[in-house]
Amino acid sequence: MKAVPVDARRYAWCHGHGLWIMGLPVATFIEDMYGALAADQHGIVRVATREIGEACAVTLTIMLFFERPIPPPAMRASWALNRLDGHELADLCRELVRSDTRTSSSELVAKCERLLEQVQTLVGRVPDVLSPEGYFPALAAARGWLKLLEAVGEEDFLPRDWTAGG
Amino acid sequence: MTTQTLRDSRRHQLEARINDYHSVTVAEVLEVIDYLRDDKDSVIAGGSLAVGLGNRLSDLDVVIAGEQSVVSSRVPLEHFVRSLRVDVWKMSKALIDDVFERAERGLSQPGRLDDLFANVDDEVNLKLLHRIAFGITLDGPGLAAGPPRDHVAIARNVVVREYAERMREHAFLAQLSVAHDRPLAAAVNARDAVEEALHAAITASGVPFTGHKWLQERLANDVPDLRILYAPFATLPAAGEEYERFVLTAIEQCEALAGITLAADRLSSQCRWANTDLVLAEAGDSPLLLSANVGGLWQLDDTEADAWRVLMAAVDGSRSSLVDWSCSGLDQAQAALCFDLYERGLLKLIWCCGVPLSDLNFATGSPR
Repeated sequence: MKAVPVDARRYAWCHGHGLWIMGLPVATFIEDMYGALAADQHGIVRVATREIGEACAVTLTIMLFFERPIPPPAMRASWALNRLDGHELADLCRELVRSDTRTSSSELVAKCERLLEQVQTLVGRVPDVLSPEGYFPALAAARGWLKLLEAVGEEDFLPRDWTAGG
Repeated sequence: MTTQTLRDSRRHQLEARINDYHSVTVAEVLEVIDYLRDDKDSVIAGGSLAVGLGNRLSDLDVVIAGEQSVVSSRVPLEHFVRSLRVDVWKMSKALIDDVFERAERGLSQPGRLDDLFANVDDEVNLKLLHRIAFGITLDGPGLAAGPPRDHVAIARNVVVREYAERMREHAFLAQLSVAHDRPLAAAVNARDAVEEALHAAITASGVPFTGHKWLQERLANDVPDLRILYAPFATLPAAGEEYERFVLTAIEQCEALAGITLAADRLSSQCRWANTDLVLAEAGDSPLLLSANVGGLWQLDDTEADAWRVLMAAVDGSRSSLVDWSCSGLDQAQAALCFDLYERGLLKLIWCCGVPLSDLNFATGSPR
């Protein structure tokens, strides 16, 4: 038995949010990336790989370094990449965020695949919620973290109810 | 081409695509999601596949709504029809009317548009407006707006204004990042500002909005004359490369597209730094900023601690979590501290006013 390296609230928050980022936004961008590559929609490949680079940097920052809160979207890439400076995956994330137009779509996808494999090795794998076989396992994984967040008194990671407001 | 012929043509195109990609018919989709329909509900297809974009892995976004529906789902309900994923938003007509009403009200008010929406960041509201306004009715009577409400105009104007306001914020942050020597944040926000400006310009020209990610495909397919404007900003400067020029050019490009001034000193008078829950904790020798909400402590040096004390003295008597400071009129140390806290997510940036459509000069066009 060993204690987690930070307090329970921070651990649950960081891991819950990391799971959410990898589980839904990143899964969506992966789907976008492959769909676009096959359809020669190079603009989408570029956007998806950029977003995956940023999302992986954020995930590593919160799950490896237990940083919180996550800053607003406009500052997220720079915040995460600065914090990751020196980490073995920092350059790869930075390269994807930069999105050099001289890099072909297939090269960008290959870089993303390499990054995703290494990030998942470091922080764990999440079932693909966008596939029929991964849908329920992904929900079950999310439920586990949601229950832990509730137990430690932390806010959940689900998007706020968009129907509210006004 | 009449409106009805155009609708029929778009429906046939959609049918052909999902049949080609997945060997699925609209009738099969309707059968799978039928259990969600109340009497006289309409089924409306929106999203990228419905507007001639998308690809083999794109899902089909569907809204089911009508007068009889009283429950609205918080998240899309996922279905599979063979290999086609169908995401269904079940909604009451009243909720849709409410979203349009809020959007219409927002357009007529001077405040920041997203103050009226709970979560504009994920673009759910913007997409909903466009799914309803530009979507394809697959079955049912449709969701025609009652006069005098014009779904198409509202959907278009909300996106134009929202993206113009996002452009303004990115332009401001890019310039602040230059001022505080944050090359990557400066370049990222400069590129984002140009992208937001182009989204606004494309939508103003009459092209339905389908989400942020489709910008480059839209530029290539629908508005090639704008594509050339994006090219210089598609790649961020490499680490160590000159980035101030990149930011300056991006700001100039945005100003030319939108017809408004985006100089930082002008914008700083329109926005404020708002505290979250930070309080100064003077424990021991080291001044600490405490956020109880995130369970975090940040050590301040003497300059930072003094800057914080001055900021708080300026709002003496107010509860710490309720205070904010104008982004203009701060001295160097205060401005540096506020920006540092903002980029860590510990202060918020709030805008005192929106960007009214009347201030913008994006070229407008007929709906396509």
